[in-house]
Amino acid sequence: MIGFLGDLFVNAALVSAILAAIGYYFFAQNDTYKHFKISNWLFGLQGLFLLAASGLLLYIILTHQFNFYYVYNYTSSNLQIKYLISAFWGGQEGSFMVWILFSILIGFGLMKWTRDPYRGPVLFFLTLTQIFLLSMISGISIGDFQLGASPFRSLAEAMPNAPFLQSNPDFVPQDGKGLNDLLKSPWMMIHPPILFTGFAMMTVPYCFAMAALWKRKYNEWVTPALPWTLGANVALLTAIFLGGYWAYVTLSFGGYWAWDPVENASFVPWLLGTAGIHAMIIQRKSSTSQKASIIFAILAYVAIVYETFLTRSGILSDSSVHSFVDLGLYNQLVAFMAAVTIIGLGLFVYRYKELPSQEKESKLLSREFMTFAGAMVLFLLGLVIILGTSSPIIGRLFVENPTPPEVSFYNEWTMPLAIIAAIMTVLGQFLFWKRQDAESLAADLLWPVAISCALTLATIIIGDVRNLYYMVYLLAAWFAVVGNSVVMYRLIHRNPMLIGGTLTHIGFGILLLGILASSAYNEMLLDESVKNYNAAIERGEVTDEQGFQKTQKVEFLELNLDQPKILDDRYKVTYEGYTLKNQERPGQQQYRIKFEPADGEGEQFVLSPQVYPMLSSSSQSEIQWSVDPDVRTGWMSDIYLYVAGSSYVERKNEQAKESAEKRPGLASTEDDSIAVQEVSLSRGETVKFDIFDLTFNDYSEVDDQQLRDSTLVAIRANLELSERGSDSSVPIRPLFSIYLQDDENWTYAPPVAIPGYEDASIQFTSVDPSNGGIDLKIRGIESKIQEQWVLLVAEEKPFISVVWLGTFLLMAGFSVSIFRHWDRERKKS
Amino acid sequence: MKPKLIIGIIAIVGFTSLLMYNFGNSISTYVNFEQASGMEGAHVVGKWDDSQKYGFSMETKQFSFYMEDEDGNVRRVIYPKPKPNNFEEADQLVVIGEMQNGVFYANDMLMKCPSKYNNADEAEFEQATAAKS
Repeated sequence: MIGFLGDLFVNAALVSAILAAIGYYFFAQNDTYKHFKISNWLFGLQGLFLLAASGLLLYIILTHQFNFYYVYNYTSSNLQIKYLISAFWGGQEGSFMVWILFSILIGFGLMKWTRDPYRGPVLFFLTLTQIFLLSMISGISIGDFQLGASPFRSLAEAMPNAPFLQSNPDFVPQDGKGLNDLLKSPWMMIHPPILFTGFAMMTVPYCFAMAALWKRKYNEWVTPALPWTLGANVALLTAIFLGGYWAYVTLSFGGYWAWDPVENASFVPWLLGTAGIHAMIIQRKSSTSQKASIIFAILAYVAIVYETFLTRSGILSDSSVHSFVDLGLYNQLVAFMAAVTIIGLGLFVYRYKELPSQEKESKLLSREFMTFAGAMVLFLLGLVIILGTSSPIIGRLFVENPTPPEVSFYNEWTMPLAIIAAIMTVLGQFLFWKRQDAESLAADLLWPVAISCALTLATIIIGDVRNLYYMVYLLAAWFAVVGNSVVMYRLIHRNPMLIGGTLTHIGFGILLLGILASSAYNEMLLDESVKNYNAAIERGEVTDEQGFQKTQKVEFLELNLDQPKILDDRYKVTYEGYTLKNQERPGQQQYRIKFEPADGEGEQFVLSPQVYPMLSSSSQSEIQWSVDPDVRTGWMSDIYLYVAGSSYVERKNEQAKESAEKRPGLASTEDDSIAVQEVSLSRGETVKFDIFDLTFNDYSEVDDQQLRDSTLVAIRANLELSERGSDSSVPIRPLFSIYLQDDENWTYAPPVAIPGYEDASIQFTSVDPSNGGIDLKIRGIESKIQEQWVLLVAEEKPFISVVWLGTFLLMAGFSVSIFRHWDRERKKS
Repeated sequence: MKPKLIIGIIAIVGFTSLLMYNFGNSISTYVNFEQASGMEGAHVVGKWDDSQKYGFSMETKQFSFYMEDEDGNVRRVIYPKPKPNNFEEADQLVVIGEMQNGVFYANDMLMKCPSKYNNADEAEFEQATAAKS
C-alpha cells in the first residue's frame, strides 16, 4: 500500500510538473495570466505530492520496513535516529528527491520575486529541469523500458533474479544492511543537503539566461539573477568546505582535497558559476559581455548535470572511491544532459546574431577587460578539471582503457592559472573602482608591490622555500592579499557594503598561501630509527627477504605502551593505553597518545584516535576495522594521526579466526598442553603476565549459603584483572575453602574463567598465613609478558588553518555581495 | 581586428593542444601484471586471491597479499602501508605501482567496495540474508 502510494505521489508530482511547464510555456508566449495562475497552483501541487512522497519515504525508513529495497539497502534497525533521517539522502533515489525539494522551494521564491517578462520563461525552465529529475525516480515501466528507479520499489522488484525471492516473493529480511559506518557522521547530516541546495540554486542563472534569450531582453536579467548565482556559489562553497573538512578529520583521506572525481563534481560548477558572476557584474556595470554572461550561466548548470552524470552513471566506478554504480539511469542521464545542453546552446546560437556586441574594444587596462579576463581564467580552470575528470571518456582518444590522470596533471595546470588569477584580482580591483591609465596604476601599485615583495621574502626565508616556482606563486598570492586589502581599506570609508569583491579576493589569496603551505610542506612525523632506516633505503642498502632492493620507505611509527619515543627532536610521544567505548559502536577503542615537547618546555596534549569494527561488514570470523583519525588543530600547524594497527586489534583478529576454526563438536585435543603457572601475591601487589595486569586487593567475605555445611574455612580473594593499557578492569573473586568430609579436610577452590578467554582460568590454591599472601594457579595463558603496541601514522600539516581562513573569507565576501545586490534589487521593485 | 583574431586563435589552439598533450601523457591504460613490468605507475585491476597468505608484517612494516589480474596472472603485491580499511570486502582492487622481479610494489591502492555508496549486487545480498535468516 505504502509502495503504491509512494509511486503514485511521485508520478502525480511528475504529471503536475509537466502540466505546470505547459502552462508556463503558454504564459511566457502569450502573457496570459490565467495560465500563470494555474501553473503556479500545479507547481505547488507538485510540491505537495513530492512532500507527501518524501514523508512516506521517511516513514518507511523510520519504521524499518525492510521489504523496501531502499530501506533494506541503506538502513538497519539499530541505526540512531539522526542517521535514519540522513539515510533519506544516503542513496541515489533519495538524493534526487532532496534536490527536487530544494528546487521547489526556490521555485516559490522565483514566483514571488521575479518580474515580467522573465517570470514565465524562468519558471518554465525550472519546471523543465524538475521534470527530468522527477523522471529519475518515477519507476514506471513502459514495455521493457524502466523510467527511473523508484525509492519505493520492493526487494522483489529490485532484484527479480534472486533465487530466494523467486521461491518466496514475500520474504522480508529481519534487518537491513545498514548505513556504511563511514557515513555515520554528523557531517553526513549537513553536507549533502547543502550541496543539493547549491545544485538547485545553480539552476536559476540557467533559467534566467534562457529567459533572456527567449524574451530577447539581454540586459536586465543579470540584476535579479546575480543574487541567486551568488547564493548558489556560497552554498556550493560551503558544501565543498564541509566535504573537505569531513574527509580530513574523520574519513582519514589524509587531507582536505584529493582531486577525486566526486570532489571535482562540485568544484567545476562553482568555478563556472563564479566565472558567470564576473561576466554578470561587468554586464550590469557597463552593458557589455552579454554573450559571456549567458554562456557561463548555461555552462554552470550544464556542468552540474554533466558531473551528476559522471558520478551517477557508473562511469567513474573504477576511478573514484565514492561514486555510485549505475541504477539503470545511464540513458536518462544522457538524455537530461543532452537536453539541457542542446536547448541552452541551441537557443544561444539561434539568437546569436541579435545579441548585442560591443561597439568599441575595451582597453587592456579597463575594468571590463580585466574582469572578463578573470572570468576566462576561471573558465579555463574549470575546463582543465573537467578534462581530467572525464578521463574515462575523453582518455579513449589516447589509450584503450584509460586510467584517471595523475594528480600532477591537475597541479601542473591549476598552479600557473592560479598565479595569473591572483595577479589579475589586484589589477581588476584597482581598475574597477577608478579609471586609470598605466601611469596612475603603476603609481597606485607601488606600495602594494613593495609590501608583497617584503612579505614574500620573509616567507621564503622563514619557510626555507627553495623552489623558484613556489617563490613566484608566493609573490602572486601575497600580492592578491595586500593589493586587495588596500582597495578594501579605501572602500570601507566609502560604503562597507562595497567590500564583497575585495574580501573574496583577499580570501582567494589567503587560500592560495594555505594550499601551498599545507600541501608542499606536509611532513611525516617519524622517530630517529625509522628515519635512519629510510635513509638506508634511499642509499639502496636495504634488501627484502628475497634479496631484492627495497625502494619503499616506511611512513609510520610503532609505540610500545608507556615507552616514549622522540619524533623529529620536537615531540616526546607516549602511548598511554586505550579505552573501550561501547556506546556508539560496539568494540570501539579510543587510544591515548600523549605529546610532550621534547625539551620539556611548553604545553603537552593528548590525541585520541579511534579504531572501530565496521558493523556492516564484519563477520564472526573476520573483523573489518575502520579508523577515525584525531587532529590537533593549531594556528601554525595541525597534527594529524591515526592508529593503523595495535596489539589489541591483532589479538581480536586472532580470536575471531580461532573461534571460526573451532567447530562445535570437535573436541579440543590441546588440553594437555595448556600452560599452567603459579604465582604468589601479597596484598596490594600486581603481577604482569601475557597481556594482563592482575592485582590482589584484599579478601572478601563469603556468603554462607553458597557453601556446604561442613566448611571449616572459606575466603574469597578480591582480584582485579585488566588488559594492560586498557583502563577498564574486571573483578575476579576466586573462592578458597576447606571442608570436612569423612573426617578428612578437603579443599574446594573452583577455577574462575577469565572473561573473554574461554580456556583460561584463575584458581585460588592456598593462603600463606605468615604474610597474608595468596597463591594462584593460572591456566591457559602464557606467562611471558606481551608488549602492548600501536602503529601510528602521524603527520604534521602546516597552515591548514590558513586554508580554512581563506575559505571563510571567500564565503563572507560572496555573502556581503549577495546582500548588496539583493538590497538593490529589492529597492527597485 | 584581424591581427587580434589571429593571435586569439593561435592562443586557443596552443593552449588546447598543450593541455591535451599533457593530459594524454598523464593518463595510462589499465594493464595486467605481465604488461606492467618495466612500467612506472602501472595500474593493474584485479581481485584479491584469498587462498594465499596475506597480512601486515611488523618486521618489514608492509602489507602483502596475492592478487589475480583480469587475465588470470597471480602475483604477490607489496604495499608499504598498513592494511587499508575495507580491504577484504572489496570486490575489485586497483593497484598502482611497479613490477620488480615478479613482485608488484604498489604505491597506491584503490578498493571498489560494494557497500561504500553503491547498491548491493545480488550475490552479496544473498550472502547477507543467508547469514541472518
